[in-house]
Amino acid sequence: MSTRRVPTRAWVGLALLVGLGLASWLSARVFPEALASTCPLGTDPTHPDRTVCELAFGGLWVSLAVGLVAGALSTVLGLGVAMVARAAGGTVEHQLLRAVDAVFALPDVLVVMVLQLAGQSMLDAGHAGGLGPFGLMVVSLALVGWAGPARMFRNRLATLEGQEFIAASRALGAGRWHLLRVHLWPALRPFVLAVFLSRLPTAILTESTVSFFGIARMEPMSLGRYLGTSYAALIYEGGARVVLPAWGLLVLLVLGASLASQALGAGTRRA
Amino acid sequence: MSPALVRLGRQLVLVPIVALASYFLMAALPLTTEDDAKRQVAPEVLASYRRDLGLGQPLGFLRPWVKLFRGERLGTSAQGVTGDELLWKLSGSVGVGLVALVLALGWALAFALLRARWRRGRLAVLGDALPAVAFGTPVFIPALLLAPAVVERGHLLPELSAALVISVWPGIFLGTLVADALDTELSRDYVRTALGKGLSPHSVLWRHVLPNVLPALLDAVGPVATALLAGSFAAERVFGLPYFGQLYVLAVLQKQVAVVVVATTVFASLLVAVGLVVELVRLWVDPRAREVRA
Repeated sequence: MSTRRVPTRAWVGLALLVGLGLASWLSARVFPEALASTCPLGTDPTHPDRTVCELAFGGLWVSLAVGLVAGALSTVLGLGVAMVARAAGGTVEHQLLRAVDAVFALPDVLVVMVLQLAGQSMLDAGHAGGLGPFGLMVVSLALVGWAGPARMFRNRLATLEGQEFIAASRALGAGRWHLLRVHLWPALRPFVLAVFLSRLPTAILTESTVSFFGIARMEPMSLGRYLGTSYAALIYEGGARVVLPAWGLLVLLVLGASLASQALGAGTRRA
Repeated sequence: MSPALVRLGRQLVLVPIVALASYFLMAALPLTTEDDAKRQVAPEVLASYRRDLGLGQPLGFLRPWVKLFRGERLGTSAQGVTGDELLWKLSGSVGVGLVALVLALGWALAFALLRARWRRGRLAVLGDALPAVAFGTPVFIPALLLAPAVVERGHLLPELSAALVISVWPGIFLGTLVADALDTELSRDYVRTALGKGLSPHSVLWRHVLPNVLPALLDAVGPVATALLAGSFAAERVFGLPYFGQLYVLAVLQKQVAVVVVATTVFASLLVAVGLVVELVRLWVDPRAREVRA
């Protein structure tokens, strides 16, 4: 078996994600005074006791953490649905795929807003099963985001199952579990990572938009919630000094995830 | 049954599913007015919510729609909405979305042609960087940057500004698709043959290549329409436009659950309508689609 190297672009993307996340977490949780004393952008108009750097850079790790957990959960859900669909086959697979397409057609932001409304009402009534705002956001994003991965995994599994080495293994008497463990999962693993990374930007941007509207009560504040709490002041006082750093950080996060996802995805297509 | 009717039925069935799912989700919300510590909504809001959703009544899920058709107000008097107001707000958002679609098509064509020109030059990196920046930019960021000029100083029309900020990502997305499709088509034999027979590159592009690129563009119109309408929520909020997106966000924030049910269903219906229009346009412009259906 040939050894496949991870593409350089994927390493660059992963390094960007890990570097930004670690730097943000350390500066917000371990050395908060470093950002407060060295920020050249001054204080935030609606939080006079905090600097723009503390709020923007400190919110980055929250957005990234939401994206990572929600992306992982939706990838696992999608993989589960795809495996059930392939195992069942026939009408069940057909109907499952139609349900997947129906969920996929709905806009993420709108559905997450409705789920947040429902989740927060349950949280306020004490019926949220121990979930806080972070958990609610992750569950909402996962409930919206599983459809795309499910469709991709189902198609990938169907392609793999049609290949000769699977047919040969079946002819030699291999069972379903053996096929999955020995042949399908090793071939699917890099693709799973690529799909997970491709979910990351979508989850981060959806969370940012919903938090910006003031619907999610993320604490500590994510990037979206930070801009959402300041937006009235930004409109009247001119907000480039506040908005540009947050924008740059969001673009860097999305760029890192996209680079890694595209590089890994291209590698699995070649394989 | 013809495949076209099957596709039509599959799209239309989404509307009652969304209507029922959103109704039962909202009807199950544990909203309380018990005491000040646990109160989530004011007593009058909860009363209007029970009345509007027809809780406990036979066929209660039809109640919000009956009220709208009778011209009655859904929700509390201050923040509720009537059928006429809903249609007016929807037409405002659709108008902004249509202007944004035209702008997005302009961005798409410009970006695709520029990317084709940059492909082998020193600017090739821009062809990759621009989509990454556009994708990593939620609509509220450019809206916030434009807002002081639009809202505070009144230099630009808010509707046009909203259309402008929500058209950027869909435009770059469509442009990337068109550029990739152009790359594929330009390398095909029929292009070489047409050029070899003396047709000008301009004629080859407009008469032969672009008609073959159009179906790829149509495939992307559905996701783009969703992005435009969802993007209008943020733009309307920042620019203070009193249309459908603003109504939806305020209904969620104020727990106007009957308005949320109706607005969610109307939004899903709009997306289904867009899907049907795309199918019709595809049948009109793509002979291969007609052959498959025949």
